[in-house]
Amino acid sequence: MMSRNDEHNEFLIVGGGVAGITAALDLAETGRDVQLVDTAAFLGGQVAKLDKIYPTDHCAFCPLWTDIKKVRDHPRITVHTSSTLQNISEKDGQYTIVINKVHPVIDESLCIYCRRCLQECSAGAVRPLWEHASPPSFFIDTSICTNCGDCVDICPTGAIDLNRTAVEIVLTVSDIIWATGFNEVDLTPLPEFGIGTHPDIMTSLEFEEWTAEAGRNEGSIIRKSNGNKPQNIAFIQCAGARDQRMLPYCSAVCCMHALKQAQWVKRREPNVVCCIFYTDLRTVGRDYYEYAIRQLEGMGVHLIRGRPGLIYALPDGDGIAVTYENTMTQTREIARFDMVVLNGNLRPSQAQTVEGARGPSLDSEGFVDTTRDDLSRFAGGFTLEPADIAESVIQGSSAAIRVATKTAYKR
Amino acid sequence: MSEITVLLCRCFGEIDQTISFATVREKLDKDSNISSSICVDSLCIGRDIDAVISQIRESGVKKVLIGACSGLARGDQAVQNLMDRGIARADIHLVDLREGCAWIHRDNPDGASQKALNLIDMGLVFLKNKDESDDVSVTMNPDVMVIGAGPAGLAAALSLGRFGITVHLLERSSTPGGMLKLITRSYPKDDATTPRLEQYLDQIEKSSFVRFYPRSKISSIKGYMGNFKVRFSSGEEEQSITPGAIIIASGAMVFLPNGLFRYGELGNVISQMELETRFKKGNVTVKNAVFIQCVGARCKDRPYCSTICCPSSIKNAIRIREDNPDTNVFILHRDVMTPGNVLEGYYIKALSRGVQFIRFAEDNPPVIKGEKIIEAVEVYDAITGHTRTIESDLVVLSTPLIPNHDNQHLAEMLDLQLDRYGFFREIYPMHPLETRMDGVFICGSARWPVSSGQAITQGEAAAMKAASVVLKGEVRAFTFSRVPGLKFGHARVTPDSCTGCGNCMAVCPFDAIRLQRIDGKYAYVSRVNKMRCKACGNCVSVCPNGTMQMPEHNYLSVCKMIEKAF
Repeated sequence: MMSRNDEHNEFLIVGGGVAGITAALDLAETGRDVQLVDTAAFLGGQVAKLDKIYPTDHCAFCPLWTDIKKVRDHPRITVHTSSTLQNISEKDGQYTIVINKVHPVIDESLCIYCRRCLQECSAGAVRPLWEHASPPSFFIDTSICTNCGDCVDICPTGAIDLNRTAVEIVLTVSDIIWATGFNEVDLTPLPEFGIGTHPDIMTSLEFEEWTAEAGRNEGSIIRKSNGNKPQNIAFIQCAGARDQRMLPYCSAVCCMHALKQAQWVKRREPNVVCCIFYTDLRTVGRDYYEYAIRQLEGMGVHLIRGRPGLIYALPDGDGIAVTYENTMTQTREIARFDMVVLNGNLRPSQAQTVEGARGPSLDSEGFVDTTRDDLSRFAGGFTLEPADIAESVIQGSSAAIRVATKTAYKR
Repeated sequence: MSEITVLLCRCFGEIDQTISFATVREKLDKDSNISSSICVDSLCIGRDIDAVISQIRESGVKKVLIGACSGLARGDQAVQNLMDRGIARADIHLVDLREGCAWIHRDNPDGASQKALNLIDMGLVFLKNKDESDDVSVTMNPDVMVIGAGPAGLAAALSLGRFGITVHLLERSSTPGGMLKLITRSYPKDDATTPRLEQYLDQIEKSSFVRFYPRSKISSIKGYMGNFKVRFSSGEEEQSITPGAIIIASGAMVFLPNGLFRYGELGNVISQMELETRFKKGNVTVKNAVFIQCVGARCKDRPYCSTICCPSSIKNAIRIREDNPDTNVFILHRDVMTPGNVLEGYYIKALSRGVQFIRFAEDNPPVIKGEKIIEAVEVYDAITGHTRTIESDLVVLSTPLIPNHDNQHLAEMLDLQLDRYGFFREIYPMHPLETRMDGVFICGSARWPVSSGQAITQGEAAAMKAASVVLKGEVRAFTFSRVPGLKFGHARVTPDSCTGCGNCMAVCPFDAIRLQRIDGKYAYVSRVNKMRCKACGNCVSVCPNGTMQMPEHNYLSVCKMIEKAF
């Protein structure tokens, strides 16, 4: 069997989102050793931050945590959270990678979640690691922490060490899978979207967090500016995307994401009017089109084809004006909204690598170009092309088998 | 006789500052079932555990009841710590005294202590009466069967071959290739399909691991993950194989737009596939070509978007324009479905090549004018609000992919779920290629319409999943769990009291129960397949006389527990 030789090789997976953890589990299950690196303090990537996922409308956490737990418990997978790539060098077909791992001030394996540090901290630096972390634990925001040491004294298990610093870890691997996901692009260069001019103009991921059931508002739909229930919400699609000034491509996930958010607003507050301003309603997956029909007809979500030309805060400081042309009726209109959610400004992320260090080759739009060189040959998820959960998982597995059978490819 | 040790976790005061452990232990000491109660600072952080374990060993007691936090907090870690030190999982029971008792009753310590005692009492009778499921192990057969030799199936078979895994590749037609055989170029790179197909065929021929069976027809599939038994005919020959995993890559069919947009009535109204056939014969020269999208898709009968029709039309529109720049090409669409960076770039490329896109509304579709031949297409342009008449001599109807007729047959043999349209359904978006049956994976257009490129990616991904099954070697049935850790148990039937009514078989979602004829009698008894059983308990709830039981949660232990609660 050709795989004999490979079994001693270690693979590095950069990014612990759904694509990365799937690739890691697949490789580990076929007897490969895997190193998994992520900048965040916990695995799960962007999916972990979602309140609900489409098209099932289930909470994102339940299917995710089982895989995260499998990754953490797997004897062949070594997880490095809070870590960034410092340097990559290549010699004799092996990559030597230096990662900078910041050990959390609170040791997760010792935290019993007793909340004593939370009550003791006068600076407010202690926060739960993540609403859904299992087992639950706290972390200390070092940017707020005053180093007073009160928490160290009160912690019954000795889990807190304020002197914990970053360490450099050197890994030698034979191949790297890039699964670094996406991040949001700052929309301020496009002033017509009015981001930053009014607290109720937010991006869709901010809105997701703002209305999350496990979040601070416990699923209630309220305005950021005054805490009142909004009368109406506008969801603006293709904000920054399909736009030659910023992102020329379509981010693929936003149409369904907006439909999902609109539906959850409707489920919780049936009287709130939801309008989606779209260009093309791209609902190409299983059940996606029916999901859209259900939201539009069953839930009463309004669909307006048009890209607003200008969004601005009204002079009284309360509402937001949206000017647009409804291209299906060829009428120019202006409407007042209480909240505006901007969708589409998603860009492949390279946040796992420090600036200046060698990373994968990218195409002009920032996606990993797998044809360019050996280092960037294996990638999956949004960093390869805009992909939702199912596609990211498929690409993760596909990258895993390509990397596992690489020597056979060369023959 | 005392047979249980009680371990009480203080959780560094989190539990015992509310619950009075002195009161609890005083009561427990009077219980004759309990050999001893041990109080420790913490069970999840391993400092005290070794001392506790040696204490348990000395007493010679097997079963341990843990009073600690919730399993979702750190209780599972406490259980794991005991298991790591040699105590069987079946002998451990966890009672939640922190989240479910101490924390929520901080204002009422006396009540909390009483509740803790009740909870421990319930746990004790439960632990005393619960049983243990039998485990079996199975050796994974090292072969994989791939159904369908289209792009998805070919990619899956070749990937597995590179792994050194023997693949049985079944195809209903006489040659591999699937829909790649019908088209000449594939989007978005516009590369010719023939060289790619030849490359695949060459690799299959050279691979010593891939066995190709043309003109195959499956007659039966039995068995479970690791040990399927498949009978099929290949041509005239009857075959029988025992793969460890199955990949379904049987593809889909193209919808024929009979009766729509005067298809079949006017000569030059053709479907997208017929256009592909014309390309196969040579260049297509027309004056004005019109593509109509969503023909038979996103409508009442088929309320889904078939993913591939917009890019396919764009591909052929670009090709017509490039072959003959004087031809005008119009794409009449309802939404241009080109998500992502690559396809959006493809759309922009079509625009730059002069392909014209006109949006129409679902309730106002285009009309084809003409008596015997097409004269014009009349369409209400939803963006400009004007009705346009396009002179045309070719109308291409872009139709969706529809599920294969034999999906139903295959799904019944494997007990899989189809979605409401007839495509194979996955279990969850997080596990998009896995089905309800362990060891059976789906990919390509059999799952959901995809392009050839996506089908190849899915085929590779399904191959990865199948490889991780068959490379496992020998596995215990308890490890066939989709969640971390071991399976909860297996349903168990007592043959003597089973009436053979078959209720359990009817409700089992995993096809794990079969009725077996008792030798020499006209009577049946149900049998549980431990490999397939997922311990859901459906069978237990419909069994009329309590013969079907989940040993870990049997009637006796649950009823005794309820008795203690009141």
